[in-house]
Amino acid sequence: MPPVHSAAELLESFLGLGATHLVGIPDNGSAALFESARTHPRIDLVTVTREGEAFALASGLWIGGGAPVVAIQNTGLLESGDALRGTAVRMGIPLLCLIGYRGHASMDRSGIDPFHRPDSTATLRRPDVDSTALLTEPTLEAWGIPHAVMEPGLEKEMVVAAWNRALDEDRPIALLLAHATA
Amino acid sequence: MLTRDQFLLPLAALRTDEAIVTTMSVVRPWGRLTRRPELDLASADSAMGHAADLALGIALAQPQRKVISLNGDGSMLMTLGTLATIVGSGAENLVLIVVNNGTYEITGNQPLAGAGTLDFAGLAGAAGFPKALSFRDPEAWADAVPSLLRERGPIFVDVTVEPGSEGPIFRTPSEESEYLRVSLFDSARVLQNALHG
Repeated sequence: MPPVHSAAELLESFLGLGATHLVGIPDNGSAALFESARTHPRIDLVTVTREGEAFALASGLWIGGGAPVVAIQNTGLLESGDALRGTAVRMGIPLLCLIGYRGHASMDRSGIDPFHRPDSTATLRRPDVDSTALLTEPTLEAWGIPHAVMEPGLEKEMVVAAWNRALDEDRPIALLLAHATA
Repeated sequence: MLTRDQFLLPLAALRTDEAIVTTMSVVRPWGRLTRRPELDLASADSAMGHAADLALGIALAQPQRKVISLNGDGSMLMTLGTLATIVGSGAENLVLIVVNNGTYEITGNQPLAGAGTLDFAGLAGAAGFPKALSFRDPEAWADAVPSLLRERGPIFVDVTVEPGSEGPIFRTPSEESEYLRVSLFDSARVLQNALHG
């Protein structure tokens, strides 16, 4: 996962929209973003212990008047299904979620369409493909969460569009990070 | 061991503008006692075990207001990591109260793993809570409530309460508790408006 997205620019995009908190757990791809947030004077970083906490905590922040952004890896997305369903989705929380797309490159290399629904245990056992990646977009679709892969060079536009859609539709929106921040 | 009334009545009598998040066996009993339903949120029809972290989010966004989580013991066990998250967040205005009845009451009082031997206050203290208390005596609990509402935290409280017979919780217009008559979507907005009003 070569570093492509500027952590500082992503953070400034969030702050320009009024974000108050970054909530989540870093992965290798988002480590630079977390490090930028940790030392930034205008955003509060809340590190959780499991990804499900991030959605409940962010929902509470929004109820209290905050404007959080959640950042987790797709492995944690799979762990946090009930928390996401029972808080941010069911409460209708406008919430920008950055999801690290671990294994995206392995799907690319194997020629698998990201919208492919793994319909057999054989697919999920393929040694050449990260099964987390196989399940990421189908999981977001099952939870009714609109999502897009962050495109290098279009970060600010995509963040603004996702943030505004989340507000307009009272729902979480996910941007998938197939490349690392730096 | 406290009865449910012995646990909830002192809190209801002294509560003013604190935000309160309930879950599981106290959702309906608290709903019958509260005089500020607009400042209450039931983590019911919601996510398993996530009342405490939801309350933490409210506390972080509302640092001038005391926020109280009335959590279940089974719920607490599902998200013990939240103890570390609370301490790490630096929130000083959160009171996390575990209603310790040793059972999954909503499903018929099946015993919790470790019931009777778990030391919740010990766990909270080890996670770094500056104050972690346990109560089994009604008078001691009633005497402590004023300071819990007044002092800086985060504060962890384990209250041993006798098992009851609360059944599954639904959100329907016919519910006795006001905060269960609306959807979770609407309830979140009622609380949001009250916190900003």
